[in-house]
Amino acid sequence: MKKCTRCGLPETYETIEFDANGVCNICRQQQFKQGAIDWSARKTMLGDLIEQYRGKYDYDCLVPFSGGKDSTFTLYHLIKEYKLKPLVVQFNHGFMRPNLLANNERTFKKLGVDVISFTPNWKVVKRLMREALIRKGDFCWHCHTGIFAYPMHLAIKFNVPLVFWGEPSSEYTAYYDYRDDVVEEVDEARFNRFVNLGITAEDMKGMIEKDFDLDPRDLIPYTYPALRDLKKLRYRSVCLGSFIPWDVKQQSKLIMDELGWQGDEVEGLPPHLYSYEKIECAMQGVRDYLKFAKRGYSRVTQMTALDIRNGRLTKEEADRLVAEWEGKKPPSLELFLEFLEMDESEFNEIVSKLAVPPHSPDFKTIQWGPRTGDFDRWYRERKT
Amino acid sequence: MSIGVIDIGIGNLGSLRNALYSQGWDTLPVRTPDDFCDISHLILPGVGSFAAAMQRLSKTALLEQIRNFASSGKPILGICLGMQLLAEFGSEGGKIEGLGLVPGRVDPLSVADLRLPHVGWNNAHQSQKHPVLDGIRDDVDFYFVHSYRFFTDDTSSVIAQTEYGETFPSIVGKSNVIGTQFHPEKSQANGLRLLDNFCLWDGKC
Repeated sequence: MKKCTRCGLPETYETIEFDANGVCNICRQQQFKQGAIDWSARKTMLGDLIEQYRGKYDYDCLVPFSGGKDSTFTLYHLIKEYKLKPLVVQFNHGFMRPNLLANNERTFKKLGVDVISFTPNWKVVKRLMREALIRKGDFCWHCHTGIFAYPMHLAIKFNVPLVFWGEPSSEYTAYYDYRDDVVEEVDEARFNRFVNLGITAEDMKGMIEKDFDLDPRDLIPYTYPALRDLKKLRYRSVCLGSFIPWDVKQQSKLIMDELGWQGDEVEGLPPHLYSYEKIECAMQGVRDYLKFAKRGYSRVTQMTALDIRNGRLTKEEADRLVAEWEGKKPPSLELFLEFLEMDESEFNEIVSKLAVPPHSPDFKTIQWGPRTGDFDRWYRERKT
Repeated sequence: MSIGVIDIGIGNLGSLRNALYSQGWDTLPVRTPDDFCDISHLILPGVGSFAAAMQRLSKTALLEQIRNFASSGKPILGICLGMQLLAEFGSEGGKIEGLGLVPGRVDPLSVADLRLPHVGWNNAHQSQKHPVLDGIRDDVDFYFVHSYRFFTDDTSSVIAQTEYGETFPSIVGKSNVIGTQFHPEKSQANGLRLLDNFCLWDGKC
């Protein structure tokens, strides 16, 4: 497979393109972010935006919150730097880990915020996971859509027009480009462009209603609200990371020091290096494993690429980590297959069909990876 | 308060009202002088001929009301023919008096061997800043359908210009009155932004 000569991302990575020197467009837009964006002007824009909304509604802003490093930092920053009164909205995807729940409670109590947590119907979630896995090789449709759509419903219900997300997608992909120098709006266009995997809730209804006892209202949390209603609210939905340069390592350290936020081991990742990354979900290992099976790389490649771009890791060190950690079968796969009532050969067959050329998976050589410490506390649906 | 849209029974107002609705605004078709009581902003949409439109406006007694609305300082937007009606005179079908809200006259486009009407996407070069252009980048495209154009000697009234055979004003404006030769309601994101900006505008420059 062709790979970026600078960061190592392969040609199967979404939105990637290579220039004449073999350097990818994501590296190039990152250089622009570091060099050409006027971050002090962006900070002024942020201040102006906040003042437009401060004190005029029941809450100054709404913060969709997973409890990971980005949303925790976003919430911390808005409260400490801008003294905002936020409404925190949490969409529970069904797999929140014990350490995450402890982090969340500590964060909410230390910062002093109002929180709404929403958990959708588990039976519906399981059916949605199966359909999205079969269609797209990405079982997280319910989470992608719920996380982005549900808080917007609450923005309307609670009349809170300003919504702050954390990290802009330009950090990872080129769907939006730092080089355009526009602030990415987290809106329905973006939702339909890549968040929902090209499947709307209405599409999903048609796909599952024949074999599943579906009440059409079950899908409301995954449906983007009517544009008219959002427009009427005069909403703005933006990423804090569009206004301040996003520095994951520094921000993670800050929330650890100030909020006692704790990292966690994650299946398939070197824990000493990336303990702050994707600690929210017990099925993260399955997600990364799917990525490896479909595209021939996993989160290790993605994380080391980011570190190379930020000048924190050499290409040689990255190659060593990738060789050591990538491509192991996560223990969470067993639980996942229980939820979906699927055996591993069926799973492998589905994924093989969805592989992104020129990659093609070879399941025979894959070994089990180690369990994380909290494995025995994860919810299971073992058949007796 | 609603966004008033002049409805004199000429042309289809559907796409304009749908565009405003999707942006979260409530519209009111303005058919009689009484309708002016409930509106904060007024839009003159434009399909048809200068002569016919002016005749209908004076017959329905809306003409005086539009002029009163303009002198009250509230925002007015003319679109396509509606923009041309803002002029002092039009030559379409003989020399006819317009609303006279922006200095100038309306005459046919002179495009040599290019086709008329001028139909399709074309870019608008902004000659000055204006609240309705907030957040819209210079030289972006809008959707045009027209055979006549605005002429003015008052350069301060020209907000943006477009080239099709010749250079003509694609946005004109004077104090609380603004007009676009293109159709913002058919111009996708940039056009919707312009409509949104207009509805948020207090009429001051």
